[in-house]
This record gives sequence, C-alpha cells and structure tokens, in this order.
Amino acid sequence: MPGQAPGVRIDGLTVVYKTPAGELPAVRDVALTLEPGTITGIVGESGSGKSTLALSLLNAVQPPGRIAAGSVDIDGLGDVVGLRGEELRKARGKHVGYVFQAAQNSLNPLKTVGKQVLDLGRSHGVEDLRGLVRDARELLGRMGLDGARVLDSHQHELSGGMRQRVGIMLALVLNAHLVVLDEPTTALDMITQANILKIVREVHAERGLTTLVITHDIGVVAEVADRLAVMYGGRLVEQGPTRQVLGDPRHPYTKGLIRAIPRLTGDIAEARALPGRPPTLTTVPERGCVFRDRCELRMDVCDTDDPAAVAHGDRIVACHAVKVREHA
Amino acid sequence: MTVIARRLAGHLARGIVMILVVATISFFIVRNIPGDPVAARYQKLLEQGMSPEAAERATAVMYGFLPEGTLWQQYTDYMAGLFRFDLGVSVTHPGSPVTSVLGEAAKWTVLPVLAGTLLSFLVGVIMGVYAAIKRSGKLGDFLAISGSLLHGVPQYVLALLMGAIFTTLIPILPQGGTADILFEPGFNAGYIGSLIEHATLPVVTYALASYGGWILAMKSSVVTVLGDDFILAAELRGMRRSIIFRYVARNAILPLFTILALSLGLLFGGAIFIEKIFNYPGLGFLLIDSVVNRDYALMGGAFLLITAAIIVANILADLFYTVIDPRVRSGEEASA
Repeated sequence: MPGQAPGVRIDGLTVVYKTPAGELPAVRDVALTLEPGTITGIVGESGSGKSTLALSLLNAVQPPGRIAAGSVDIDGLGDVVGLRGEELRKARGKHVGYVFQAAQNSLNPLKTVGKQVLDLGRSHGVEDLRGLVRDARELLGRMGLDGARVLDSHQHELSGGMRQRVGIMLALVLNAHLVVLDEPTTALDMITQANILKIVREVHAERGLTTLVITHDIGVVAEVADRLAVMYGGRLVEQGPTRQVLGDPRHPYTKGLIRAIPRLTGDIAEARALPGRPPTLTTVPERGCVFRDRCELRMDVCDTDDPAAVAHGDRIVACHAVKVREHA
Repeated sequence: MTVIARRLAGHLARGIVMILVVATISFFIVRNIPGDPVAARYQKLLEQGMSPEAAERATAVMYGFLPEGTLWQQYTDYMAGLFRFDLGVSVTHPGSPVTSVLGEAAKWTVLPVLAGTLLSFLVGVIMGVYAAIKRSGKLGDFLAISGSLLHGVPQYVLALLMGAIFTTLIPILPQGGTADILFEPGFNAGYIGSLIEHATLPVVTYALASYGGWILAMKSSVVTVLGDDFILAAELRGMRRSIIFRYVARNAILPLFTILALSLGLLFGGAIFIEKIFNYPGLGFLLIDSVVNRDYALMGGAFLLITAAIIVANILADLFYTVIDPRVRSGEEASA
C-alpha cells in the first residue's frame, strides 16, 4: 500500500483562543511539512500549543478557539481549514485518523467496541459492515489482542494499553493514511509504552502511513520519529531529522530540554532543569522571541523582533542567536 | 440472567427487612403518641356502654392488636396482621379495612400521578437536551429560565393558578372531583371522557410542577456528557451527528433514572396539595384526612404504603441499571 501516504503542508498556521483579554494566539505562524510516509514528532511542554496544532489537522480546534490564519494542505483533501460540514466530517476518520491520549476515555462507555466500529462504518457509508468488523478484528489481532473478545468488550473491561490499541484500530480501520497520535503513551506503564511504540512503528511501515506523534516525552520521539519539531509558546522553535536535533540541538530551548533529561548512568545532578516556566496563553509576549525570558543567549533584538524560522540544510531553527553565530 | 436473579433476591430480602423495620417504628410511634389513641378508643367504647370484652374486640379489630396486654403481645399481633395484609380498620371510613380504603384511593392517585410524572419526564428530558445544546443561545436561556421558574413556584400556587385560569377565567375544565355524576360509572364513552376531563387539571399541574426539575437535571447532565472525551473522540472520528446525539442522550439520561424511580415511589404519597385543591380523592387527600381526623390506623397504613413503594421503586431502578448500564452489570459479576 505504500504510495498512498499523503504529504501534509502546514503554513502560516495561527490558532487563537477567545479570552476575556481578547483573542490570544495558542499557535502562531507555524510552518511544518510532513513528508509522505514519515513519522514526525512534535515535542513540547503542556500549554505549548501542540495539541491545538494536532487538532488543526482535522480542522477541529474546539471553541472558544479558532484557526485565525494559515492553511493545512493535505494530499487528496486540499486545505482542510476551508472544509465545512459534511465534507469535513467525512474527511475525519476516513482520511485522517486521530488517536487520543491513552488516559482519556475515547469510547462510549455504554457500547461494546464492536458496536462502535459499526457506528463508525455507518457514519462513513461503509457498505460491507461485516468486512469492516473483520478488518477491525484483524487489526486488533495484529496488535497482539484477542480481536473477537475485545470487540465484544466495553471500555471499562479494557486496560489502558488495550484501550490505546483500540484507539489505534479505530483510527485505522477506515483505511486512513494520515494518523495523528496525541500523547499516545502518556499514563501507560513503561512496558506497555514500549509495546505501543513498537506497534506504532510497525503499523506505520506496514500500512504506508504518514504519522504525526504529539508528546511531551522526548524519549517517545527518539524512539519512533524520523523528524522532530520542538514547540514552545505556540511557536515551532526548531525542527529537523530526529538524530540531528537530539544529537546536536541548536535552539537554546531544545538544548535546555535535552539537558533536563536525567541519564540512567552517571550523576543525577547532571540533569539540570530549565529555570523559569513556559508562558501561558496570557503571558506569552506579543512581540519578540517567546523564549527570551528563560534564554541564556538573550540579546536586545529578542525583545523586539520575532526570530524567523531559518533553514540550515535539513534543519530549521527560529533563533536570533543561532542566526548570528551561523553567519559570523 | 442469573446475575439479575441473584441481585433481585438480595434486594427483596433487604426490602422486606426495611419494611419490617419501618412497620415496627410506626407501630411504636402510634402506640406512644401522647394520649394513646388505642387506649383512648377503648375508654371511649367503654364509656359508650360497651362491655370490656366487646370494647376490647372492637379496638383490636380497628388497630390490629388488643388494647390491653403487654406491648410485646400487641406488637406480635400487629406484625402477624401485617403478614395477612391486615392493617386494621379505618375510623373515618366505618367498617372498611385500611387496605381497601388505601386501595380505593390509590386508584385515583397512581394513574394521574404516573401520567403526570411520565409526561413531565418525557418533555423535561427532551427540552433539557435542547437547553444544553443551545445553552449559549436565546432558546437555551428561555428553556433554562422556564425550568427554574416552574421549579421554584410551589405546587399549591401552581395548582391554584391553573384552577383559576381553566375553571374560572376560561371555564373549559371541570372544577374538581373524579367524574361527572351524570354518567354511569363503568366502561362507557361518557364516563371515560368525563374521567379524562376531570383528570386533566391535576395531571397537567403535576406535570408542570415537576417539569422544571427534569429540564434542569437533564440540562446539566447533557452539558457534563458533552464535555466528555468520548464525544470529542466520536466527532474526530467523523461520526454522524445523529449517532453522536444518541451517544450523548443515552449517557446523559442514565443518572436521571434514579430520580425517576424515586418520584415513582413517591407516587403513592399522592400529590397532597394538588389533590386537595382539585378535590381529587387520591392518596395525598386521604393522608391529609387521616391526619386531620386522627385516624391512626389509616395514617400508619398510608406511611407503610409509601415506604414499601419507595423500596420497590429503588429495587426496580437498580435492576433497570443492571440492564442498561454495562458497568453496573459487570461490577456485579466481578464481586460475585
């Protein structure tokens, strides 16, 4: 099935939330390209806007938020920001699969998984419902579950890891080739986490998907992602091939993030937390760099000008200090 | 099915114990009311010239136990009567056993109050869904305000208002009673039509009085479910609106069934103010009468009936949950 994987081009995307203080941006001027057939990871702290960005791929930003500017161009769908009503509904699930955080209850507690698969099929006008259930069973079996039993179960009868696999099944069963996973392993134990990540990688390769993984856990991206984008205060501050970004971080925030990870071997004191706090919707500066308050390399220009995202080969970094160094 | 059977058996056992406890309490209350109605009755009969034996027998028939004798003996007599569904004889309805007086009144309460409850439940729940979905619009505001208003107005004010409007200002409905005496009671169109005509005001008033509670409860329940993750998940999976609506409605209505079961239990308490105002001879009417006339046997019987009804309603509600909520079902399996 390879070759069906769609590419995604996000450009100039700005998402604002309506607050008593006016409309404030949660995602600002984000540009990101998902190459067909790749896994891209977005890392960021809570409140960095990464979930909002993920929802934008389905044009599903929840009120009081709205997409204020920009485009999300998906192969085979066009710009989803322009999609409305039935067109949008049909794109969701069928073209773009969305997997919820494991801890979230993404299933109707009153219905068995199988019945919800049928609801999904009916919603998307699937004629061969029997075939759909068979696909669902096979997908679950592929992920190491007893498909027939799980289809016959209610949500409360499934463990966290099982629920997450059911979530992945529901995202894929209609044959979507673009999959967004929002915190796929949060709240799972380490072994289950490793299991789920393995499944994500394998299913991605087998079905020829384009995958976007949203997480706050650098370990998760390191494990699965081909490309990595780092988000801070609603901006993408750095992106590039995962190995390069992790091995040689350029943006001071990425550096701080990686330094903050405790190592399994060596002195625990080597891990240094980044001082300060990430900005919230109301404290994010209107002008200038969003990271400057916590930055070691802060310069005068950071207070006044937004650093542009500049490409250096495969890497894209949005930082005045990095630009100065590269050009010097 | 065995799960439900086992559950039912447990509930019944508990229910019977509860009814016995309530019966015991009401026995001792009646027995210890200042002035001791049982002894008073006995004395009165003696004063009327009855022989002690005859007076004793008459009192025993009335209350189900002998006026003399130890408290324990009276208690066992009373409880033994209970098992034969013998609650004694009503003072205000000479010669009628309490059970048949209650049965007669229940006839006039159960159907109208049941109709009123179900009507208000149905309308309230549907309007509650709209009030929740349109909660940021004018329609939602209107529905919520109408709910609060009707919920806040006392039943008797509503009943008086309805009576004034529909029997005096626009006299289209009869004033009170159960049916026109012109018609021969029985299964004929005239009588049934008159029954319905007379029941309209009490039923509608009762429905209006409880509608507010339903719409408010359903609204808040729907708003809670709308915020649940699985609704957003269903949306992001591109589920049809109609399917999502069913998901919301089914999940939101669940907690309301508890309230519904309780109000169905209270049904046997009658709608005291409404029945009194519309002169409708139901259980509420009877209860008031028995209190006013110090008809203790009847009072005790009425309270016992209310207790039993609430207990039964709770059992039914619980069994109902076993059927409609898979979480309750398997919870039982796990613990059994």
